[in-house]
Amino acid sequence: MSDFWFEFVEITQTFGDGLLFGTTYALIGIGFTLIFGAMEKLNMTYAAASLAGAYVGLAAFTFINAPALVVFVISAVASGLIGGIVYVTCFKYIPINSHLAALMASIGGLFFIDEIIVHTTDGSPLTFPALFDDVILELGPFAVRGDLLFVLLVSIVSTIGLIYVLYRTRLGLATRAVSQQSIAAQLCGISVHQTNAITFVLAGLLGGIAGAMTAAAVGVLSPLITVPLTVKGLIVTVIGGLGSIPGAIVAGLLVGGFENLFLYFRGVNERDMYVLLLLFIFLVFRPHGIFGSEVNRD
Amino acid sequence: MSYYLGLVQLIGIHTLLGLSAYVLMLTGQLSLGQAGFFAIGAYSAGILTVIFELPIFPALLVAAVIAAFFAFVVGFPALRVKGLMLVVATIAFGESVRLFFFNLSWRVPRGGIEVGPDSTNGFREIRYFVANGWSAWEITIFVWVFVILIMAVLWWMDRSRAGAVLRAVGEDELAAQSVGINLTAVKVAAMTAGGFIAGIGGGLYAHTATYVDHLTFTVLLATFAISYPILGGLTSVFGTLIAVIFIQGILVEGLRFLGDWRNIVFGLLIIVAMNVKPFGLFDARTTRFLKRAVGLGGRGKSDA
Repeated sequence: MSDFWFEFVEITQTFGDGLLFGTTYALIGIGFTLIFGAMEKLNMTYAAASLAGAYVGLAAFTFINAPALVVFVISAVASGLIGGIVYVTCFKYIPINSHLAALMASIGGLFFIDEIIVHTTDGSPLTFPALFDDVILELGPFAVRGDLLFVLLVSIVSTIGLIYVLYRTRLGLATRAVSQQSIAAQLCGISVHQTNAITFVLAGLLGGIAGAMTAAAVGVLSPLITVPLTVKGLIVTVIGGLGSIPGAIVAGLLVGGFENLFLYFRGVNERDMYVLLLLFIFLVFRPHGIFGSEVNRD
Repeated sequence: MSYYLGLVQLIGIHTLLGLSAYVLMLTGQLSLGQAGFFAIGAYSAGILTVIFELPIFPALLVAAVIAAFFAFVVGFPALRVKGLMLVVATIAFGESVRLFFFNLSWRVPRGGIEVGPDSTNGFREIRYFVANGWSAWEITIFVWVFVILIMAVLWWMDRSRAGAVLRAVGEDELAAQSVGINLTAVKVAAMTAGGFIAGIGGGLYAHTATYVDHLTFTVLLATFAISYPILGGLTSVFGTLIAVIFIQGILVEGLRFLGDWRNIVFGLLIIVAMNVKPFGLFDARTTRFLKRAVGLGGRGKSDA
């Protein structure tokens, strides 16, 4: 009985920690989904740009000893800027009906950013300032890590901020108009290029926060995590349903939770394999994701 | 001289990799998982010659069949989705294959030493060519026999009914379906053929390099695989070959003087190329122009 109880607590704890960490995946997933919703294109550069933002924040911390909150703001702004640049270089001038070219260009962008990070840091991992990592909340038999709780809070705040922008401002109205019917939106006098650029910057801001939080929760920032983060962001987007923000949130939490369970049962080397398996299970049984519509799946 | 022969071998192997993506692209699907099939071919062929001590030729064929089998199995769930979703699914497949070989450790004693895949340390003992005294020339010819054979088969297929079916699915799925083409069967067949070709390429790669590890088969390799047909265009198999020569022979070798900075330039080049020529460097217009320039089948404006 006590053994079983201990195991139960341990597993619940693991899953809970994963859920909290999963909020960063949810943010990355929202970013992919936002861009897909606006242009029906995948921005493969996104996760790398998010981490690049976190690197800029880290530089601010190292060189001018900026306080933690400022580091987050700088990361977000830097990533937003990179997002804007990515839009101009990889999407703006490529014909709208050429999905392949935009995809290839953004993959080029992914390698470009990745290599710049590798060159400036010599490829070695750097420590990122942790926040509230000494705080531990005791809830009965469970313990909640302060840094993960902080991650959760920041994610909730930034998601609410994003939803406010999307549904309560003229800017959001324009963004949604372009994503629903870009030609009709153009006829109403909305500049598609400008709106798309703003979507990229918005997604970038979100990504910068997510990147900084990932780094803060893990404790290190390394070029080795760009491709895995890209893959996980894509998985979250697909499981949640392309173009669906609630889907990305739910899928992000699920992936985070299950990832930690796999880590607990099978160890760090095999963890990601099972996460990828999760994607295939979804592809077989629910190819349009949790919240995606049947029609919109390609 | 052996350095240039090595380059020629690499061009042949990458042509196979590009052709494996080309077959699937004819049906309008894009797979970023070709590195996964390539990895399966490489490890299987290596294991067959090193651990089971088979000769190279049957080992390659068995490895290709194994890779084709995985392509067939993955094809069904993956091809239920299309377009960008398929890209995500195949990236996930490629990464999971890489992680599988990252974890795979299978060491057996052969001839006094332990051989076989050794998880993170890679698979180091694929010395079939060295052990049997093949010269660099013989290896190069061996590689290119496969390349030419597969190119010939694909070239012939392109001109047969099968090629027309593949292209019909690629042009317009709805129209293809309405003339009685089974979309799933065509796509899975193309995927399987792609897996077979990538498997042979992988097996040849493992034996020419004598060493493989999981870092060889990343998303970068998968990107190379699709960038050849995208750059070369889908008009014929020769586009892919030209693109491989262009990228591996001219860009990668030509930029060697840049050292570590080469990869940065490579990323930039992809971006620039896609902005300037979004439908491939050798798209229909350029091909027509080139053909007319060299006076080959130059179809003038009068009969166009």
